[in-house]
Amino acid sequence: MIEALYDVSPAWPVIIAGLLAAAFPMHYVRKGLALIAPVLAVFLWFNAPSGDHLGGIIELGGFTLETFRFDGLSRIWGLIFIIAAFINALYGLHEKDRIADASGLIYAGAGLGAVFAGDLLSLFFFWELTAISSVFLIWGARNQAAYKAGLRYLAIHVLSGVLLLTGAVIRASETGSWAFDESLSIETLGGFLIFIAFGIKCAFPFLHNWLQDAYPKATITGAVVLSAFTTKLAVYALARGYAGTEQLIWIGAVMTAFPVFFAVVENDLRKVLSYSLNNQLGFMVVGIGVGTELAINGAAAHAFVHIIYKALLFMSMGAVLLRVGTVKASELGGLFKSMPATTIFCLIGAASISAFPLFSGFVAKALTLAAVAQEGHWMVWLVLVFASAGVLEHSGIKIPYFAFFSHDRGHRVREAPVNMLMAMGIAALICIYVGINYGVLYELVPFPEAALYYQPYTFDHIVGQMQLLLGAMFAFAFLVRMKWYPDEKRGVNLDTDWIYRRFLANTLTWGHAMFGRFWASISNLVSGVKSRTGGKLFEVFSPIGALSRDIPSGLLAIWTSALLAIVLLIAYLSP
Amino acid sequence: MSDPNGKHDELIHPAARPFLWLDAPWLKSSMIWIFLVATLGLVAVDFVHHRHEYVELAEFYGFYAMWGFGAFVLAVMIGWWVIRGLLGRPEDYWDGDNTDEEGQS
Repeated sequence: MIEALYDVSPAWPVIIAGLLAAAFPMHYVRKGLALIAPVLAVFLWFNAPSGDHLGGIIELGGFTLETFRFDGLSRIWGLIFIIAAFINALYGLHEKDRIADASGLIYAGAGLGAVFAGDLLSLFFFWELTAISSVFLIWGARNQAAYKAGLRYLAIHVLSGVLLLTGAVIRASETGSWAFDESLSIETLGGFLIFIAFGIKCAFPFLHNWLQDAYPKATITGAVVLSAFTTKLAVYALARGYAGTEQLIWIGAVMTAFPVFFAVVENDLRKVLSYSLNNQLGFMVVGIGVGTELAINGAAAHAFVHIIYKALLFMSMGAVLLRVGTVKASELGGLFKSMPATTIFCLIGAASISAFPLFSGFVAKALTLAAVAQEGHWMVWLVLVFASAGVLEHSGIKIPYFAFFSHDRGHRVREAPVNMLMAMGIAALICIYVGINYGVLYELVPFPEAALYYQPYTFDHIVGQMQLLLGAMFAFAFLVRMKWYPDEKRGVNLDTDWIYRRFLANTLTWGHAMFGRFWASISNLVSGVKSRTGGKLFEVFSPIGALSRDIPSGLLAIWTSALLAIVLLIAYLSP
Repeated sequence: MSDPNGKHDELIHPAARPFLWLDAPWLKSSMIWIFLVATLGLVAVDFVHHRHEYVELAEFYGFYAMWGFGAFVLAVMIGWWVIRGLLGRPEDYWDGDNTDEEGQS
């Protein structure tokens, strides 16, 4: 242990590497930085003192910023963020894009910084840094659609940051505290605004569509990187500040269910994964809402394994996109003949997210479901079991089946590059290792004592889970045989983005046009009044106007006498 | 790149050749029976072993198999009829071009 480093958050080497990468034109130097930075970060993670630790305190402008809070919750999130940063760096090793290299590192570092932030001001700084740095991973696709989606993404995430800061300021003015801890409450205005800020980043229902809008348009590596940090940071923030908030139970339940319906008929497989990501977040949010030690363990364990298997699935689709040029299900099929290793890795990711026994999803999701059932939320539990079958539909079956099997479209392409295969291989290995040696995961969760009592591999659990999965797989085969399974066809499905991309945009366009007409009418009216008034004045005062005309002296004398009489009368009557 | 007729079998990856049976019609047509038998086999376990569950409803014979089947069918039908039926639009709906959903490296 090096005590001098107790104040150094693992975020800093990653952020600094990102800043350096922005300056280096040699791509191999940037790639070296991308691989070394997570190694340095994990060293700092291991070097942190055991037990709760608060370090990296910076006094700035009268504020105290706490940049390195290391405890049970930040420990597991920090580690998985570091692992994800390393795998992402390996996956993107073949790309020569300075902006992507730099923004990917700064984004990962900002995510780490937010996880280790001990106060709301530090959180806000890193929160905004994740938004600003990550948008370049979307713009990196360098097409018009990605540019527009990036703008929408940035606007929504900056709004989240503004709400976070506003809520923090209101709370500080009321309580004098900038603490980022369990004292946050949705009962107060400040706490509620912060909750909404977290909810935007966590893709709550109706606040979710930035995710499905932006992620599928990001670069191949960008989508993998994005899938790891933003939303899981929001889950962490909710777990830190709002554990046990009952409203989260039903918010999470809705999050698990509604994306399933969209994913079923979505043709873009990276968009299917984005809906799937939304569905998985729901499980974590439910766990946080339940708020017991087992439930928080479930949310943390789920976040840990989810980051890996979701990245694995995004990586496999990225490899397909690289080689075939599309991830439209309607254009794919039979790729296992060309990309066998990618197929196997994708199947491992699919098995993990579907929670097959011996894979990581099985040992993590079980904690949340058990906690929900133990607390008597049986309706929510039924929704989660429904959503588990839905996960199998879109991520367990649809993704690998339509990409690698189904109809052979005749694509004969090369296998993914070696670095991509290595990254996918590491992720797949973690999925299996954690699924079998689950004790490693249970020791990492915030309340290991509660987790170690839980046994995921009971006969009852295995039989029940396999019944669920095989019943759903039989349903798939049945629907396909009966030709009741929707064919994959090109198209888009409207979501809540219709509200701002079409309704609000059209309303603004209409409002702009109406304002233009209104302004023109006002201008016409004013100019009309001006010209008429001017005309009248001209008629009266101009050299040829009424006042310049000869007036009979008799009439003028009468008026003068009348005015004098009035003046005399006033002078006489006044005291 | 594309070979719709599948004639260029020499382009198939060597590691995939032992697994070409995965594409065989007999496998596709027999999938329904394989899954049916496996599901019924697992349901049969419930009749010889009583599962202990936190939620009483889940202790019913074959509960998970039925819930899984029903959930899958419901998800597909709602997705097909409601989402695609009501909310489905042509691919060029948003920006008048088909690049809206395409990512690039």
